Amino acid sequence: MSSEVIEILTPRYGIAWYPWAVQYFFMIAISYSALLLTVPGLLMGKRQYQALARVALLVTVSCTLVGPVALLADLHQPLRFWHFYANLTPWSWMWLGSLLLPLYLILVVAYAWLAWRPAMQLQAQGDGWIARLSGWISLGAWQAPRWMLVMCGLGALLMSFGIMLYTGAEVAIVKARPLWNTYWLPVMFVLTGIVAAAGLVMVINRLMTGNDEEVNAQSLKVVFSTMVLAALVAALWVAEGLTGFSASVEQAFASLQGNPEWRAVAIYGLLVGVVLTLTVVLMLRQHRYLRHAWIAGLLAVHIGWTFRWMVLMEVQTVAKNTAGYYQYVLEMGSSGLLGILGTFGLWLAALLIIDILVPWKRDFQAGTH
Amino acid sequence: MDTIRRALLGQIAKLTAGAALVPLSSVASAGMNDQPPRREGDPEKRYGMLIDLRACIGCQACTVSCHIENEAPLGSFRTIVSQYEVAHEDTGDVATFMLPRLCNHCDNPPCVPVCPVQATFQREDGIVVVNNEACVGCAYCVQACPYDARFINEQTQTADKCTFCAHRLDVGLLPACVESCVGGARIIGDLRDPNSQISRMIDEHRQELMVLKPEMGTAPHVFYLGMDERFVSRPDARPAIWDVRDQKGEEVGYEFGSH
Repeated sequence: MSSEVIEILTPRYGIAWYPWAVQYFFMIAISYSALLLTVPGLLMGKRQYQALARVALLVTVSCTLVGPVALLADLHQPLRFWHFYANLTPWSWMWLGSLLLPLYLILVVAYAWLAWRPAMQLQAQGDGWIARLSGWISLGAWQAPRWMLVMCGLGALLMSFGIMLYTGAEVAIVKARPLWNTYWLPVMFVLTGIVAAAGLVMVINRLMTGNDEEVNAQSLKVVFSTMVLAALVAALWVAEGLTGFSASVEQAFASLQGNPEWRAVAIYGLLVGVVLTLTVVLMLRQHRYLRHAWIAGLLAVHIGWTFRWMVLMEVQTVAKNTAGYYQYVLEMGSSGLLGILGTFGLWLAALLIIDILVPWKRDFQAGTH
Repeated sequence: MDTIRRALLGQIAKLTAGAALVPLSSVASAGMNDQPPRREGDPEKRYGMLIDLRACIGCQACTVSCHIENEAPLGSFRTIVSQYEVAHEDTGDVATFMLPRLCNHCDNPPCVPVCPVQATFQREDGIVVVNNEACVGCAYCVQACPYDARFINEQTQTADKCTFCAHRLDVGLLPACVESCVGGARIIGDLRDPNSQISRMIDEHRQELMVLKPEMGTAPHVFYLGMDERFVSRPDARPAIWDVRDQKGEEVGYEFGSH
């Protein structure tokens, strides 16, 4: 029977997760990805990766501190956060996250503290308030054995795998949103996180250190290999939808069918991905472009953030139950633009405070042997 | 696979409601995202609702009475009657299709196991409720519900939803929507009581009943009689309500954003 249906009465359903969620997912993904980038130079003590590890450590600490603030702000009842710890709910992915996140944060801070401590102790010998503060922060002149740094690093790494798993699973298990309900989503969160983290490392490397070309080359290689993997994952996801191998991906495609805006999004995503990959290839082959790696870095950060914006915000505009799409307009207030800017402002503040207090550019004492 | 289970799967495929009537409460376990044990409520009962669409005139009396009874903020609804205009493409005949929507009080409610603080739970009588003094307002349950039955109440800043008017049922009254339905289209009752009106109607119409989005595996406990298959899942319809047109009738955009 051929008929045309018009929906004439339906309520307007609001957005349940605000841009705070995007900020949290973005910050925490950069945090765990940058932590991975510190592993060769700091945890394994490989000399040629130490410059990379220094920048990556700054990135991971600043993002680890700010991410949870954005997460707290996404709760409509932020002061009730202690309910997470008063009700043991081990079957909920989000509850598991509330358990992992503080442990992860403590271990990352401990790892960075141990890495920066020798330089802080040196700084404490000088005069002035920074020296005094450095003395307090380093908690004395005793030498921390390297195994402490290794244990904290391994612990943080272990917890970071937990964070990767829970942030991905938390979203991917939601069957009600077919665009989320795929095993590839957690993988893609991690891959775009690594791309963004390596990108941010290149930007910080340009702005705060001497634009070390070795750091740029290493970060570009990370971006390249991760982009290849991301392309593979995206292709597999599309293939699952086209072949009907995965019912939920097929449903996801159906939910966007004929929507010109989503088609534009897909084309834009493909285009930006190709441009970034080609730029990275060019920079790696022509060494004179290496000092401009920060441009690729900005693009990489853009991909990491925009992917989360599309997944978390725009997918919420796809109606579950009714016809069509909801219109989402970014509010100016704290649940909108102010929240986004505020998170970045807080991150910048954290970055600058660390930069003022911590001589993070000096050699790690650990790993020099 | 034994024949009973195979028959069950067959029923799901036919979009009938039969499969939803098999209780899942017994399979609760502690695995990731599994249903936690039910608590509170009368374990002797299992409430469900049958909506006889043939008797619904789309008057929204249920919407209004629910709104007054449960004091939902303006613009948020625990129940609503979606209305569709269906035009036959060849003859041009037009009909209106009314679809009352509310929480389905699923036997496998996806909103419950996601809650990180156990603020939302399913009672022993099947009613899914929210303790809004425990709710942290993470809105995870709002995302997890395939039926858009939940929302964040802007006054309480916690999750809000239809409770089958549990506060009325518990003292022997009918839910506001049932009480006010002029056509008597909404029938609520105890599915464990074979003599209840709802049990008798389910027995009588078992083959015709449908539930919303059976493919989600939620086992909804709101059953529709006189349902059109095209509206079971997200309808393939043109959204018209929010078009904003200027005085000449030209579309100038969508209405949105009364925050």
